[in-house]
Amino acid sequence: MTDEKPSEAEKPEEKKAEAAKPEAAKPADAAKPADAAKPAAPAAAAPKPAAKAPEPVIPATAGKFEQFLKEHGIPSERLPLSLTIETIAVSGDVLQSALRLLRNSSEVQLDLLLTVSGVESNDTFDSVYHLWSYSNLDELVIKVLVKKSDVPEGDLPAVPSIANFWSAANWHERETYDLMGIRYANHPYMRRILNPWDWEGYPLRRDYKQLVDSLNDKNPHSMR
Amino acid sequence: MSQGNMSTSAKPNTNPVVPEEIRDSVSISSIDFMIDALGQMLSPVLSPVANLARSNSVWPMTFGTSCCAIEMISVGMSAFDISRFGSEVFRATPRQADMIITAGTITRKMAPALITLYEQMPEPKYVIAMGACTITGGMFNDSYSVVQGVDRIIPVDVFLPGCPPRPEGILDALLKLQQKIRTENYADRRKKLYAQTSVRKVDYDTGRPLEDLIGVVQEDTNAALSSGQEAIGDVAKGISPKAEEAKTVATKPVAPKVEVAKPEVTSPEAKKVENTKDEAAEKADDKSV
Amino acid sequence: MATEIQEIDLKTDEMIINMGPQHPATHGVLRLLLTLDGETVKHTEPVLGHLHRGQEWQGQNRTWFQYQALIDRVDYLSGMFTSWAMARACEEIDGTVVPPRAEYLRVMVSEMNRITSHLLWLGTYLIDLGAMFGFPFYPFREREKLFDLFEEIAGQRMMFNYIRIGGVVRDPKPEWLDKLKRFLDEFPDRIDEYETIVTQNPIFLKRTKDVGILTQAVAKDYGVTGPCIRSSGIPLDLRRTKPYSVYPELKFDVITFDKEGDTWDRYMARILEMRQSIEIIRQCIDKLPSGDIMGKKQMAGMRIKAGEGFSAVESPRGILGCYVISGGGEKALRFRWRNPSFCNLAILPELLKGCPLSDIMAIFGSIDVILPDVDR
Repeated sequence: MTDEKPSEAEKPEEKKAEAAKPEAAKPADAAKPADAAKPAAPAAAAPKPAAKAPEPVIPATAGKFEQFLKEHGIPSERLPLSLTIETIAVSGDVLQSALRLLRNSSEVQLDLLLTVSGVESNDTFDSVYHLWSYSNLDELVIKVLVKKSDVPEGDLPAVPSIANFWSAANWHERETYDLMGIRYANHPYMRRILNPWDWEGYPLRRDYKQLVDSLNDKNPHSMR
Repeated sequence: MSQGNMSTSAKPNTNPVVPEEIRDSVSISSIDFMIDALGQMLSPVLSPVANLARSNSVWPMTFGTSCCAIEMISVGMSAFDISRFGSEVFRATPRQADMIITAGTITRKMAPALITLYEQMPEPKYVIAMGACTITGGMFNDSYSVVQGVDRIIPVDVFLPGCPPRPEGILDALLKLQQKIRTENYADRRKKLYAQTSVRKVDYDTGRPLEDLIGVVQEDTNAALSSGQEAIGDVAKGISPKAEEAKTVATKPVAPKVEVAKPEVTSPEAKKVENTKDEAAEKADDKSV
Repeated sequence: MATEIQEIDLKTDEMIINMGPQHPATHGVLRLLLTLDGETVKHTEPVLGHLHRGQEWQGQNRTWFQYQALIDRVDYLSGMFTSWAMARACEEIDGTVVPPRAEYLRVMVSEMNRITSHLLWLGTYLIDLGAMFGFPFYPFREREKLFDLFEEIAGQRMMFNYIRIGGVVRDPKPEWLDKLKRFLDEFPDRIDEYETIVTQNPIFLKRTKDVGILTQAVAKDYGVTGPCIRSSGIPLDLRRTKPYSVYPELKFDVITFDKEGDTWDRYMARILEMRQSIEIIRQCIDKLPSGDIMGKKQMAGMRIKAGEGFSAVESPRGILGCYVISGGGEKALRFRWRNPSFCNLAILPELLKGCPLSDIMAIFGSIDVILPDVDR
């Protein structure tokens, strides 16, 4: 597992935030020994003993799920860890089968879907799935990256929906559609959930222009 | 309501005027005029007594959207005890309430409901705008979905700042409102009886003020008409330049245009009703959610 | 004379009823579109968003320091937990070391907040069930006492802004701890008082026993967390299963029930959690170390290192998570809340299927949904 780490650091990064991460991670880990001095969690202390090493903290499970998916013939790509949690990117085509596998197999049992979040990066729209488990301590972050250049003009980025077999995703996907404008294909009820049904625009996008009307006639850029 | 109605009634506007929408079913006899005149006469004498009674039993409505609602509940409980001031009877229905405390942020989606509730309340009715969110938008004053000040949609009597205000603040606002009620001349208030409507209506489906939508519809209609007259095809595209052309070029067809546009004015409301029906039907079909 | 009752197949039509957004028992502004057949609920669609204030949008448009003050409003009944979730996420990204005294204070104030949250739930739930006036006075009496303590330590009754990135903002005086101890001594008796009135009350039992049974399969499918799922027999308590802060040093057990929980079990789980919180706070007072309370300088131009992270705390309603992406600047690139109410509310259509109209509020109230937590 640890052998894969340098290759990961050398890998060209897609996102600005992630590109900044390997450098940023080192000072964070320099602070870790002091962190271990504070009352540590014995039960969740798996990453903590390793914190004394100068290397970035990699829990023993890093790479486990990528390996697992590879064994079952599903390609995935490793991304930089998000806070010691394994992060992988899968393509939209295999998302459903990957999540089905991770959820149902008795080996991993990642059966708690915490969130489906939409993130707009510099050149991608990400649909991020945070998976936990009801029965063990495993965590996994799955990202589906849709390149902005691949999205047709006037259309929304599309990601296959998992709401058909995982009810927890239903409202989260609707919310992501509402706020970020990622369309989940084959969702049973792809409709705005938080904003009014005929709302214009996707508020969390970077190019979102706020309505300025009689209910809100302030300049949205003024910080009062 | 409008000037046209005033001109049709023979009497000057000191007499009660039946609003246009209920004129079919309501008529005013001469006895009503006499009672009204008597009321006008006695009002300075009776109002202080009646107001004292009214001000000490202002029944609030249970309207709470967010954080302030919790403090509104707290003020009803034993530690603060709003019943000392005769307002402990929180009514769940607007028909039985005198006052609405807008406790919590009003969003664009909630605004139509608040307007409906306000208009369902019987006269005389009062509004306490509680919390920073309902006064200016407060902490969320630059958010895209928040109505920035509840006085943009309904008239407000007392503003109560705080985020959330302490329960003592609510009691203070209530006392201020009671003072206001005590200084009222009831007959004067009654004269404005039918004017006590909401300031501005908001569309539930788009979250925009209805007047803006009416403007959009009018513009579209004008554009469609002018393009129809000039026999240029494609109506759907290039609406706004055509509307401008119509304003500048066409002077004659203005009058017919307005007449045609008028039925369109009500269309957003009608459309809204249809929409809700359709949505309900869709929901009945769609069992999977 | 015995009359013979014949069963006739009546043709019934489904009826769609709108409930809310203004309804005294929806705890705010939830709108339910109910499809009824007679009095039986066939289908429910919750319409959310009547309190959507754009909290995530605010997160991207405010500085870290400004946004800290806002997030108490995400879940106003348990503001300590929302602050804590954000603070943990930012600290983990930033590598900030939180002093142990601050961690203990965090646990103390959030367990107090858990008690106030459950107390409010208890009062309003009984209002939902029809105990309009009378009972709610009891839990609110204790709530006010806790609010006085909160006010003394944080300066506000509800929107505390007490837990900040890096620690907590004020150190309590010794008298405050004495007051808290006095409250903790008397509070178990008060819970006994509530239980005397409610727990074995025949009306309450009839309204809640075997109503709204949440099966484990459905709960897992919808990602339900918190007391709802613990009362259904799944021991998922973040404080124990993935312990954070100083919870590993404190002694307490996960409260679970063996069978699949109904509405009454969810009530009981919360009562037991309140008793458990008392014990946790007592242990914290005993173990409270001396020292610093803030590990990061609080200032307007505060920056968080670049990186992304998800961190969660066990709020009174379930797992409250915060997914933060920082670009290293003064503002976050993306804030995402994982709200327990939002996820727990999704099971409402499942629970209401086939239940009579009168049970809707009994079931809905038992999930303990708080609407700004749903809509943000």
